[in-house]
Amino acid sequence: MAKTINITPTTRHEGHGKLILEVEDNDVVNKAYYINTTPVRGFETMLVGRPAEFAPIAVMRICGICQTTHGIASCAAIEDAIGCEIPKDGRLLRELVGLGNRMHSHPLHHLLTADDFIKPEEKELRVDVIKLIQRMRKVGQLIVDVVGGEGIHPPNIVIGGMRTNISERAKAKLYYALKRYEKDAYLMYEAYTELIERYLEEIGIPDLGAHKYPYIASHTTFGDKEDIKWDSVVEIPPQRYYKDKKIAESTSVMIPLYGGVPVEGGPRARMAKFGNFRIGGSAMDINIARAKENLGAVYRAMEILDELDINGKTKVTPEYKDGSGIGVHEAPRATNVHFAEVGKDGKIKSYKIIAASTWNFPIVEKAIEGYPHQHAEVIMRAYDI
Amino acid sequence: MMVTVAHVQLSSCCGCLISLSDTYEKLIDILGSIDLVYCQTLADAREIPNADVILVEGAVCLDDHHTMEIVKEVREKGKILVALGACSAVGGITRFCKGGQMPKPVQSSFSALTEVVKCDLAIPGCPPSPELIVNVITAVLNGNMEYLRPFAKYAESKRGACGCDLIINVINKSLCMGCGVCAASCPTRAIKMIEGRPLVSSELCIKCGVCSFQCPRIELPKGVCQLDGE
Amino acid sequence: MDPFGKYNSIISARATDKRILKKSQDGGIVSATFIYGLENNILDGVIVADRGEKFKPVPKVATTPEEVIEAAGTKYTVCPNISLLKSAVREYGCDKIGVVGTPCQIISTKKAIKYPVGLRHVTDKIALTIGIFCMENFPYNGMKTVVEELCGARLEDVVKTDIGKGKFWVYTKWGETKSVKLKETHPYEQIACHVCTDYTAELADISTGSVGSPDGWSSVFLRTKKGEEIIKKMIDGGYLETKPIDEGKFGLGILKKLALTKKEKNIKEIEHRKELGLPVPIIE
Ligand SMILES: Cc1cc2nc3c(=O)[nH]c(=O)nc-3n(C[C@H](O)[C@H](O)[C@H](O)COP(=O)(O)OP(=O)(O)OC[C@H]3O[C@@H](n4cnc5c(N)ncnc54)[C@H](O)[C@@H]3O)c2cc1C
Ligand code: SF4
Ligand code: SF4
Ligand code: SF4
Ligand code: SF4
Repeated sequence: MAKTINITPTTRHEGHGKLILEVEDNDVVNKAYYINTTPVRGFETMLVGRPAEFAPIAVMRICGICQTTHGIASCAAIEDAIGCEIPKDGRLLRELVGLGNRMHSHPLHHLLTADDFIKPEEKELRVDVIKLIQRMRKVGQLIVDVVGGEGIHPPNIVIGGMRTNISERAKAKLYYALKRYEKDAYLMYEAYTELIERYLEEIGIPDLGAHKYPYIASHTTFGDKEDIKWDSVVEIPPQRYYKDKKIAESTSVMIPLYGGVPVEGGPRARMAKFGNFRIGGSAMDINIARAKENLGAVYRAMEILDELDINGKTKVTPEYKDGSGIGVHEAPRATNVHFAEVGKDGKIKSYKIIAASTWNFPIVEKAIEGYPHQHAEVIMRAYDI
Repeated sequence: MMVTVAHVQLSSCCGCLISLSDTYEKLIDILGSIDLVYCQTLADAREIPNADVILVEGAVCLDDHHTMEIVKEVREKGKILVALGACSAVGGITRFCKGGQMPKPVQSSFSALTEVVKCDLAIPGCPPSPELIVNVITAVLNGNMEYLRPFAKYAESKRGACGCDLIINVINKSLCMGCGVCAASCPTRAIKMIEGRPLVSSELCIKCGVCSFQCPRIELPKGVCQLDGE
Repeated sequence: MDPFGKYNSIISARATDKRILKKSQDGGIVSATFIYGLENNILDGVIVADRGEKFKPVPKVATTPEEVIEAAGTKYTVCPNISLLKSAVREYGCDKIGVVGTPCQIISTKKAIKYPVGLRHVTDKIALTIGIFCMENFPYNGMKTVVEELCGARLEDVVKTDIGKGKFWVYTKWGETKSVKLKETHPYEQIACHVCTDYTAELADISTGSVGSPDGWSSVFLRTKKGEEIIKKMIDGGYLETKPIDEGKFGLGILKKLALTKKEKNIKEIEHRKELGLPVPIIE
């Protein structure tokens, strides 16, 4: 007979969640619900009527792990609304600060998932991996500290560009840090790939967490509004998505759909769309894609340092007018989308956010379904939700 | 016996915990010197146990009964209850929450933990720096009450915080000498020094309480007045 | 009452580099130490008070000896040096920062080091603090009044201001020297200074000022190991010349007298404010 298993709270991820799993006699999940129980602080309503400059500062505080991406998407949306072009060097620094954030967030996520793949008796390996992760995070955070002004909630990301350029010394410092990161990212990629291959082999389910849904991605290292068909994007209330009333009223996330269906965003989606990464495989592939993306990030970051003119202008003064705009940034965990409507008084008229991880909420459910319930959390974590 | 520590997240961004983890190589030492018995973001324990220290990050959503239960629970289970970071200590960004957002439009009231339950220590900052969090944990481990006194006061005061505190408590009281440390510390760059005095932009202030905490003209702990490194 | 706070030794000293002495206020201790630090990898950035338009100081992160020299000399008005502490680490990418400041600014820095709530990965990069003696400061327009109305000099012409021998002195680029008795400048002082009891920057690694040493020389307190080490290296390398401080009435005697005068006077003010129920910086 089918039974229901509740995993509450789910652990080793940001925020509060629970898994409700309807399980068959053979332990396989028939229906999965991934419920976000975090109270809604209401960043969208908070901004209405407030000055536009407040928007990036506020929305960063949605998430302390990927604050940078919210800041970038917010500024981009407002700039789009008022037709503001940011200077080249501002654009480069913005991409760089976003990459710094990715280069810390991805390893942090390895930290959260490490215990899924490292066995309890492998104490030394665990310590080594944590040390590696912390070394990598340190570089990522250094970039955000220097370029963004603060490693957590970087205030230099402002409407019109970036508040300041960086000094020659700071640039050199970043260069050497990136050199170190490059080496560590390789080690990490190799170690993680091995761990995951071992794990899949041992549990004997090579396609654990596979699903048939499409992917969403706009850019490899930054974000591109033009790459998404906006007519196809909708966000529906859970009451419309879930048949079960109790489930619908308990979750805190809206459900974004692309072309009417859930879509997966994040490292695998980006690497599949812009590279030749395997599609439709195990959800564990996402963990490997994530480790691989660190390498792409560090190369692009070095390229940016090359291109950057430290005496270049980084910011223009925004001139407000009535308008609405869309800002897109590829957050570590998926495509982050902000919609802003501003008035000529420089105030926010309306604001809407599709936070990166919400794309993956319905996907996680699909990925869990059809596999033994014991692996549900491991699948959920692969999505870095 | 090692001191048991729990980290509990209420309505927050998790940035305070990330800040703690930004101690990088030191993190392993810190985790080695305490017994982290609960931390949903980093470990698998699903039930908050009794602990010597409970660090609570985030504001309290008064409109969510589950949160209200946790608040009761952390007070009962924690010997020392620490409001970690602006949201929990003084309100911070959650001071601007007013509800009405889908899909939970009724969740509209957020308060600092210090306003809802008696806390022993409250640490402002959005987020507080990694070093400071380590200092506080170390002081708790060593029972260094002198170091912790300012935080104990914040826990008692149940006041919000804002850049305006500089105006009201320092400039208005003819105490501002224009050092500028308030401006340096502001995480949103809301403070500019104009004519030797802080000018706070109400557009950028997120009520984190850092500037006034940092001001030596509001409080100058005795420990600061001792010269180290002779 | 302890006039000076803790220190290991006190000397009279001055820089040997003429370029520094030409621009510095007294013995050029601050500029010489910063330049030595920058040139010998002890420091990689220093926060100083640069000269802006009309003698209005602007805080600056200096990374070259030239920039340090440009900022030499005392500005008798508030310059929020500490406001740059974070930028020095972030945009400038400095790892070994030198900070010069009035005693109150050194106190702010020390509090920041002990309680770095809003200063992530910043305070561990403060490599050296140099405090300058300070009896009182002026708001910008207070200084302007003193210079323009009391001394009769245009601010844009001023090349140097000084306090000594009971007077406020103004030197103009036209070679004129004007002065006014200090007594007359008191009404233009920053009132917040009247609750300040630190004359000799008791919490700095090194503190320096003119009082207690002959003209062109500085009195220097070496308070910490760090401070002592750098000064010793500079003396050994011939960057500073020194002599023992005059222990008498016009040396240590006057320094002590002024330090105690400040403490006594301002403790009275603090008590007075407490009586009125006004807040004072709480020390407990
Ligand atoms: C407001 C004020 C009051 C003072 N009162 C006394 C006093 O009563 N008795 C006494 O002996 N000395 C006093 N001094 C100190 C003295 O004037 C010299 O600054 C000191 O002797 C250093 O001289 P120097 O030749 O070694 O330094 P220099 O090589 O000339 O360097 C001085 C350094 O101080 C910085 N600076 C200048 N003005 C300011 C400011 N307003 N705030 C922060 N930094 C600044 C400069 O940028 C420079 O880096 C005072 C200084 C100030 C700023
Ligand atoms: S205080 Fe700041 S960093 Fe901490 S939880 Fe609140 S918003 Fe996040
Ligand atoms: S920290 Fe206090 S004394 Fe210093 S400038 Fe700010 S308000 Fe004034
Ligand atoms: S002015 Fe800045 S430091 Fe002060 S409370 Fe506001 S945000 Fe925090
Ligand atoms: S008298 Fe005190 S408060 Fe005033 S400037 Fe000098 S050190 Fe600062």
